[in-house]
Amino acid sequence: MIIDKNLSLRNRNKMLVGIWQDEDKLMEAAHALVHAGVKVHDVYTPYPVHGLDRVIGVRRSWLSIVAFLCGLTGFSLAILMIWYMYVYDWPMNIGNKPERFSPSWVPIFFESTVLCTAFGMAFFFFWRSRMVHGIQPELIDPRQTDDYLIVTVETGEGVNEKEVLDIMRSNGATELRERVGGVQTTL
Amino acid sequence: MIHDSLLRERLVIGDKTAADVTRDISRPILNKPSTSWKVGFTLSVIFLGIFIVSLGWTLWTGIGVWNINKSVMWGWDITNFVFWVGIGHAGTLISAILLLFRQKWRMSINRSAEAMTIFAVICAAMFPVFHMGRVWVGYWALPLPNAFGSLWVNFNSPLLWDVFAISTYFSVSLLFWYIGLIPDIATIRDQVKGKYEKFWYRFFSMGWTGSTRSWARYELVSLILAGLSTPLVLSVHTIVSTDFATSVIPGWHTTIFPPYFVAGAIFSGFGMVATLLVVARKVMNYENYITIGHLDAMCKIIMLTGTLVGIAYLTEFFIAQYSGVEYEQYAFINRATGPYWWAYWSMMSCNLLAPQVFWFKWARTTPWFIFIMSIVVNVGMWFERFVIIVTSLHRDYLPSSWVMYAGSLTEIGLFLGTFGIFFTCFFLFAKFLPVINMAEIKSILRNRE
Repeated sequence: MIIDKNLSLRNRNKMLVGIWQDEDKLMEAAHALVHAGVKVHDVYTPYPVHGLDRVIGVRRSWLSIVAFLCGLTGFSLAILMIWYMYVYDWPMNIGNKPERFSPSWVPIFFESTVLCTAFGMAFFFFWRSRMVHGIQPELIDPRQTDDYLIVTVETGEGVNEKEVLDIMRSNGATELRERVGGVQTTL
Repeated sequence: MIHDSLLRERLVIGDKTAADVTRDISRPILNKPSTSWKVGFTLSVIFLGIFIVSLGWTLWTGIGVWNINKSVMWGWDITNFVFWVGIGHAGTLISAILLLFRQKWRMSINRSAEAMTIFAVICAAMFPVFHMGRVWVGYWALPLPNAFGSLWVNFNSPLLWDVFAISTYFSVSLLFWYIGLIPDIATIRDQVKGKYEKFWYRFFSMGWTGSTRSWARYELVSLILAGLSTPLVLSVHTIVSTDFATSVIPGWHTTIFPPYFVAGAIFSGFGMVATLLVVARKVMNYENYITIGHLDAMCKIIMLTGTLVGIAYLTEFFIAQYSGVEYEQYAFINRATGPYWWAYWSMMSCNLLAPQVFWFKWARTTPWFIFIMSIVVNVGMWFERFVIIVTSLHRDYLPSSWVMYAGSLTEIGLFLGTFGIFFTCFFLFAKFLPVINMAEIKSILRNRE
């Protein structure tokens, strides 16, 4: 449920693949495809292209809320820990500081909050983005981490393949391919 | 739309394409190590050897081999700790704060600054850990259930806050650095040819493909981590300063310490980043990526923070005299004119006066001069911690226990040795990981609006 299913390329219909090397032309192409009612499956870029996620209809991530909840957990755990050790289990009088709550505990609350937020968020980020150590990456082309900007459209009912390829071609795609069952052919 | 700004200099020069960036930055990783790398690495390993020998001697004999067996119980040891931890703070501060302020020039320097952070914190951790003496019971500093009655740690003590703060800081910085590295590790993964290299880069790239969905989340995670790291850095160095400020030692018991330590950390960290990058850009041919413009910006921050630190020195001196507390007054007069006057004036001239040369554009744009100045800054910041610790401790409330303190050979060896740890790690990093963030650099190849 947490893993983003869109990230996998396995068991997909025929995919149409367009390759760009210019970011601005890619943006125009993405706009044109979306305007023509085509559902863009994904765009693979070697660097973040700002605004592209909104164009192809990627919803805003819930990770910020997840981060907040993780932070809340860290904060509560720290309070629970100090309360158990210092109030419940073995109260100690140090410098006559208050027994039930002392502002000198705040730094530890803060550090614990930050630690849990950072690691909790990262954990869910990896999980949602299907990132595991050693997993085989599903690449369209090895140059997608170098200088290729790759748009993929999954074919199916209601997708006019010719129209999609025409839009890609007229918007500056340097190469067009189709991908069937993991095998790619240049068009 | 693309606009080439007429006012701002380009951040990457030489009309690079994305493929050029990959090729230029991954060259040291894909090729065999250069002679300069081998020489530097060998030297670092020699210093690492000095560390191991000094540490071995310390553990074998006990920390009596340090000269701290007198009222100066913190000596070189905590001086070195604060020195390294200060350097360790700048990296995350640079990338996090500059990311929050949308300063795109950070993209060429943040990776090495973050790496520097991690290595510097490792060096810093050596000192308090081995200062404990019986390091094998070091885990007593953690709140673990134990068989000594219910002996919990003291949550009111800044030293315990330090345990939590520095370990949190190290873990979060490592995570921030690693997440920033993933897209670049993936790039290297798709470039390397060897079987073993491919395996390891594939292992650490976590299957990254550069999907827009992942990038959207990735950017959000980076932003939140930056937002978290900024107060984290401030809290950690504030806590380091409270190690001093919550005591009743004249010269330490001041409320100015937290902001003054944080400014000092940024100052010394930028000093170290400048030292590393002025050399790296030359040796690794990164002059198109770490441009004179970047050095200029770093020098301006060094000047600003150096001046802030200088104002803090003058303020604490004034307040000590103005307070009417004779112990405070004496501590500061003793710093400036007592037996350690040379340390005080080294600190003043290196940290307050020397950076003022950066008012001149020539000074900010001449790499060899910046390199010398960055060393001066590092020396000055070491002296700052030496002055704070040694001058305050060597003459306490009881004149009969006044002593003079100088580091023993073992202490000096440990300090020099930490440079071995630091540079060994840094050279390995420069060999196996991209020193400049390729993915981010590719997004600013042209000045976009």
